[in-house]
Amino acid sequence: MKIKNILTIVFALFSTVVLAQVPKGDLLIKGGTVLTVTNGALENTDVLVRNGKISKIGKGLRAPRGVETVDATGKFVMPGIIDAHSHIAGSAINEGTSQVTSEVSMEDVVNPLDVSIYRALAGGVTSIHLMHGSANVIGGQNETLKLRYGFTNPDDLRFEGAPRTIKFALGENPTRGGRARGIQPQSRMGVENMLRNSFTQAVEYKKKWDAYKANKSARKVAPEYDLRLQTLVDIMNGDVLVHCHSYRADEIYMLLKVFSDFNIPKLTFQHANEAYKVAPELAAFGANASVFADWWAYKLEVYYSTAYNAAILHNAGVNTSINSDSGELIRHLFHEAAKTQKYGDLTDDQALAMITLNPAKQLGIDDRVGSIEVGKDADIAIFDSHPLSVYAVPLMTFVDGVKYFDKSEDRKDVRLYINPEAAIEDVMIYDRHEDHRCLEDAFLLTMEDLFSNKK
Amino acid sequence: MLRLHLVLLLSFTVLHTSLAQSDPSGKSAVTRTYAITNATVITKPGSELKDATVVIRDGLIVGVGQNQTIPSDAEVIDAAGLFVYPAFIDGLANTGAKRPENLPRPQNLFTPDPPNDYAGITPENSVLSQLDVTSNTIGNIRKIGFAISHTAPYGRMLPGSGSLILLKDAEHMDELVLAKDVALYAQFVGAPGAYPGNILGIMAKWRNLYRNAVQHKDHVALYAENPSGLPRPVNDRVSLAFHPVIDQSKAVMFDVSSMLDVRRAMRLQNDLGFKLMVAGVEQAWDIMDELKETGTPIFLSMDLPDAPKENKDDDKTDEVKALEAKRAEAYKTYVSQAGMLQEAGIKFGFSTKGTSNSKIKKNLMTMIENGLSEDAALAALTTNPASMLGIDNVTGTVEAGKMANVLVTTAPYFSKNSEVKMMFVDGDRHDYVVKEKKSKDASEKDAKPSQATVDNSDPIAGEWSYALITPGGEQNGKLKFTKQGEKYEGVMTFEDGTPDTDLNNINFREGVLTFDVELDAGGQAIQLVVEGKVEEKSMEGKASASFAGQSFQLDINANKDGK
Repeated sequence: MKIKNILTIVFALFSTVVLAQVPKGDLLIKGGTVLTVTNGALENTDVLVRNGKISKIGKGLRAPRGVETVDATGKFVMPGIIDAHSHIAGSAINEGTSQVTSEVSMEDVVNPLDVSIYRALAGGVTSIHLMHGSANVIGGQNETLKLRYGFTNPDDLRFEGAPRTIKFALGENPTRGGRARGIQPQSRMGVENMLRNSFTQAVEYKKKWDAYKANKSARKVAPEYDLRLQTLVDIMNGDVLVHCHSYRADEIYMLLKVFSDFNIPKLTFQHANEAYKVAPELAAFGANASVFADWWAYKLEVYYSTAYNAAILHNAGVNTSINSDSGELIRHLFHEAAKTQKYGDLTDDQALAMITLNPAKQLGIDDRVGSIEVGKDADIAIFDSHPLSVYAVPLMTFVDGVKYFDKSEDRKDVRLYINPEAAIEDVMIYDRHEDHRCLEDAFLLTMEDLFSNKK
Repeated sequence: MLRLHLVLLLSFTVLHTSLAQSDPSGKSAVTRTYAITNATVITKPGSELKDATVVIRDGLIVGVGQNQTIPSDAEVIDAAGLFVYPAFIDGLANTGAKRPENLPRPQNLFTPDPPNDYAGITPENSVLSQLDVTSNTIGNIRKIGFAISHTAPYGRMLPGSGSLILLKDAEHMDELVLAKDVALYAQFVGAPGAYPGNILGIMAKWRNLYRNAVQHKDHVALYAENPSGLPRPVNDRVSLAFHPVIDQSKAVMFDVSSMLDVRRAMRLQNDLGFKLMVAGVEQAWDIMDELKETGTPIFLSMDLPDAPKENKDDDKTDEVKALEAKRAEAYKTYVSQAGMLQEAGIKFGFSTKGTSNSKIKKNLMTMIENGLSEDAALAALTTNPASMLGIDNVTGTVEAGKMANVLVTTAPYFSKNSEVKMMFVDGDRHDYVVKEKKSKDASEKDAKPSQATVDNSDPIAGEWSYALITPGGEQNGKLKFTKQGEKYEGVMTFEDGTPDTDLNNINFREGVLTFDVELDAGGQAIQLVVEGKVEEKSMEGKASASFAGQSFQLDINANKDGK
């Protein structure tokens, strides 16, 4: 290799490292109630952050010279919330044109300019799992992000070192696409068949490449490269964690069988509204579940649901998280976690783990985040009251010890890029009191009324 | 029947050629030697000669300076009071290229990988196969001062290679080609309804194609060395097209306007290792460090956003005021980014792709008002693109030995009233009628209808009321067309408050009006391609809309306003 080429490569490596630098903060959070998640609530306790990591937890800590102190007296300090299912901060969500697109990756389409990132920070969220959509059976690879809002380089939002994950989807969404195009899968049977076919192909693909690599001859020709099948091989090797969109118990159980047959160890069911029916089976497999607190009936496969789902799964020994799947719900995931106390009597630590440590485990980042422990990343949210209280308001959010949200300094317009040709419209808060009410309840019941639980 | 047709065609061609040689039309120049005298010559950015002469002979500049001997066969052009510049070089456009017909929908569209042609993967193509010497886009852009265009083919993710085209009148496209297939052209444009449908699939497809092309190249090399016992390498036209990209003898030019798309192109470059150029860039202010570090050649889009208009209401809220201020600040960023790049020491060129011709000069002036120096602007139009495209040894300056690509203007180019009086492209002279200064003779003015009045005889110019039939109801507004020379310009307005949008590629031929327009839908672009039959004062047509990789057809009708 020519020296010029070597220098170019060295320079390229060096410059990548330089570009990937993100700020790490130093900070002392004093006198708060620290909700550690792994070690209960510590009253009147300080948390010292050095270079983005939690370095000390205790009483009466002193700020080293030059380190800023945040007074958290009377406030609650918790690990930053982690949303295991999100579609904010993506320039595209679905490559739905084909039923198996394991080669595509959300890391290519991260959109750091999405103002939803700031809104999520304002709800105490520090990390999200930016997922591919559910239009196809084997969708794309997902990307785990830290919400470092304000940077315009997508690389600056990546959760460095987070394992690769991928989105699968069962049920109505992928079969709808299949029926629309007249291709497989058009039914749940077709979904299973497609999965088994894909993994069987991947096994064959791996054999070809293994043989090529074992061939010691210098005059050998490489088999065709297929990033799609290679990703499936990576899944079977356990290098990629599978997160599968699913609702019904039968399809959840189906996937457990498929994964057992192909020896694929790591699996999290997303949504999983009927997972409580197969909770012991999930626990025996070691599968995870990431569910909604109490949201259902938005399509046929989601009618058979219960708000006790998370608690039942937890009590059966399934690592369970509560996710948002929404740019709105993500702002109050702490309310969603609190619902597991109303429905299922979980303890504070158990309920908080649903939105911190448990999703961290599902994303393979629990050694870095998810609890307040010495050595972990200083991804921290401060609330004015207990985050499981309906009155809780997030006050500050830190990622790597750097403050990205502060309610007292909240600006009205936090957009990073603005289209100078866009029209300016008055922002209206919809006010129901202006509705004409003279004909209220005068009509026959609609479907919505029939299934409403408001009355 | 076919044979007869062929014979006729051939005989016509022969006749035509022989006619051209004697040229009874009298169109061909008497001499190809010119002496432009008494001119202010800007030989290159920052270098000016007063009262100088430029001698051009047989397509070359043979002398520049104050004491030039004027050859006896030269046509002398007295350029007292005129200004001579190196003619401009366009970093990326579709000048002269014809959009190919849409492919029929293939039977096996929904296979995981649809046919390459439909998926838009045709890197083996050359823009030369789309060139049309009669295209009026060539003359139209020349009139602004451009002599060379890096012309890219139409298509989707990998349409083929772009070539450097001389913007001259020619009988055959071979005469236009300065350098063939200089860069592989790439865009983030998905296949309608098929894989790869959007940026997710395109990024993955790129990686897959590239990796296989690398393997293919190794295989070909191994086979060439000694084929014995080896499988024959397939004649894979896609992989073959990547071979020069892999050994870096050919760059990839990515057409990317947004900051995020530029970064995505850089990401592919970083992962795969090819030589990258980016063009059509509209948002570069946040990537200046990366541009500087990587030295990626960049061609900024000449398109600028329209200046925002403030709401004139007296009782507007503080919130609206704040939003307007922030929008004004965003506008300022766009118009001053060329100046910012100059300040940061980043060499850049320009791309006219997607910019209406009437806005090119105006936008340059706006950039200059917002921090770009005139020298840097001229460099971005001449010496920078010449060196970035590898033709700086033949063109880009007015110096002896260079190609005779020369622009003559009535005033310094970067002044409001300057007009192009003459263009030399490859030594061919083109004259332009210069608008008279405000006429002193009022009666003369009255004799001619002023330009502002609508020419009723034109079937298109004027205002039309349109109705676009969408699944969500009828959308209404106006289509306003004006005729500039032989070209139409137009704007589409909307009753639902969408800002006015310029129409592109307006064409009216044999009763059929076509144009396209790009609409913004929450950050994603919807492209509407309209084709309509015009009869009397009404048009009936179809608008095909493509959005996020999907496309569908809508009906559009319009009626011309007025009596």
